[in-house]
Amino acid sequence: MSVLKIYPEKCTGCLRCELACSYMQTGEFQPAKSVIRVSPFEGHTSYAPYTCTQCAEGWCMTACPVGAITIGAVGAKDVLDDTCVGCKLCTIACPYGTMFYDPDTRKAFKCNLCGGAPACAEACPTAAITYEDVATADWLGDFARERTARVLVGVS
Amino acid sequence: MATRHLIIGGGTAGINAIRTLREEESERSEITLVSAEKPYSRMVLPYYLDRSIAESHVYTATARVLADWGVKAHLGRRAAALDVKGNVCTLEDGTKVEYDDCLIATGSSPVKAPVPGADGRAVHSFWTLDEAQAVVAELTPGSHVVMVGAGFIAFTILNSILALGAKLTIVEVAPRILPRMIDDTGARLVEAWLKKHGVAIRTGVKLTKIADVKGRKQLKFASGADIVCDLVIMATGITTNLDWLKGSGVRVNHGVVVDDRQRSSVPNVYAAGDIAEGRDRVTGEPAVHAIEPTAQEHGRVAGANMAGKDVRYRGSLLINIVEVCHLDVASFGAWDDATAETATGLKADRPAYRKLLWRGDRLTGAIILGPSQDIWTTNDVGMLKGLVQSGVSLARWKAHLKKNPFDVKNAFIASKTTHTLLPETILGRPSKAPGDTPVAV
Repeated sequence: MSVLKIYPEKCTGCLRCELACSYMQTGEFQPAKSVIRVSPFEGHTSYAPYTCTQCAEGWCMTACPVGAITIGAVGAKDVLDDTCVGCKLCTIACPYGTMFYDPDTRKAFKCNLCGGAPACAEACPTAAITYEDVATADWLGDFARERTARVLVGVS
Repeated sequence: MATRHLIIGGGTAGINAIRTLREEESERSEITLVSAEKPYSRMVLPYYLDRSIAESHVYTATARVLADWGVKAHLGRRAAALDVKGNVCTLEDGTKVEYDDCLIATGSSPVKAPVPGADGRAVHSFWTLDEAQAVVAELTPGSHVVMVGAGFIAFTILNSILALGAKLTIVEVAPRILPRMIDDTGARLVEAWLKKHGVAIRTGVKLTKIADVKGRKQLKFASGADIVCDLVIMATGITTNLDWLKGSGVRVNHGVVVDDRQRSSVPNVYAAGDIAEGRDRVTGEPAVHAIEPTAQEHGRVAGANMAGKDVRYRGSLLINIVEVCHLDVASFGAWDDATAETATGLKADRPAYRKLLWRGDRLTGAIILGPSQDIWTTNDVGMLKGLVQSGVSLARWKAHLKKNPFDVKNAFIASKTTHTLLPETILGRPSKAPGDTPVAV
């Protein structure tokens, strides 16, 4: 399946992905409802978008007590709004922190790869987010380790 | 390989075991389910209580679904005795069910405070669907509800009671609320938050009697004023349903003792969920984790092994979350380890609290409280779970986090926690979607 591959060194922190994501997911430009989130590093001098890896276990999916999380046509774990009751179990089961809860709708929400045409990848002006047929991976780990090394200087 | 599987208990553990059996088996087997209740999810009863879902929504495996899965179901009947030498389970009505292997997943039951009047009218536990139905029928806008017990179960229905327009008083015998879910500081914060939202709370009070007075309920305490109300909900703990196993020869401690395949002391008898005492992933010690995620994982591991696969479980992780009046309250792992190194952070100007607990350079427990509309809170909830679950070495991030306990994200990402977590699956393969259980042909 295709997944969102992140090239963190290309991210400029423009946040267009968050706007595009929330617009696609909710019909409004509201970054609070974006399921891809740009994390700042080194005191806002580096950035990287962080989102669901579509992991093999699907901790959110297996934890759901009512089967409200399923696997959609393009292989993404997706929340069925009519079935979700908003119990938040998925938010503590997901060990990546990429399950969210919308207090307005009282439903869980997450990245569903926009059904195969991810808005974040399309909106990214520097191709820091691409939609590629590759195995999912930890796209940010090495980048973040390098970018945060100086933060930890003097910490002991 | 076992061809006749018996699943005793139709809760989360039992249903997950059945689904996994059907997913993993190489040849079609016979599956029999014995369940005192029709299979439903207790997790969603609070949403049935506040009328946001219909009763039909609570069922996890309807008669139709069980038929699709090819399960012979004895519903509304309890197992009464297990003969592990004869491989026979006897039900309360005398029916005998033979098996090649069986799963004990009989869960737990609520315990009411042992006071006069506890079994009277308008005094309910909130554990089963029947009890939920009784509360739904009696709880009307403007009623005064007293919740006896301030634990997790009570707090899961707090929002629903308030949403229905009832007045709520919580009484707790312990000196503080949520004694088994968060620490003192967190509890103080939640208590203040709830009082601000109109919930009355009395801690350190011992209920002595519930009487009927002019059609209402009167609660008497060892000290302090009486409370008169319309409805009493008892959330005073649960007990493991082990009694029926007495004399069976299955080894029991706090629960049925199981190995890393969910197998009891009897090789063809498995146990899962609230009733099983398996490995705690963080401490490595045997523990009963009476929580939904453990029941689900136990059930799947048991089901896979009953299907002939060799699936080893790494142990269950204690995780809890409850939202009260838009405040998220969650804890993970060994959050109450008195001998762990700790770091805490408390915001003076908003209800936000973190506690991180360490063994060496690994995070072994965490508590997080924050407003549920804080967009970064949920990221951190999951990441704290991931840090405790993965046990990644945080190295120099430990010192950073001890000074900055709110700065979880950079530590999580830079410690390559995602890299550590990605290969992990419960069954050693990608999970299947809920609708993908093979059906009978």
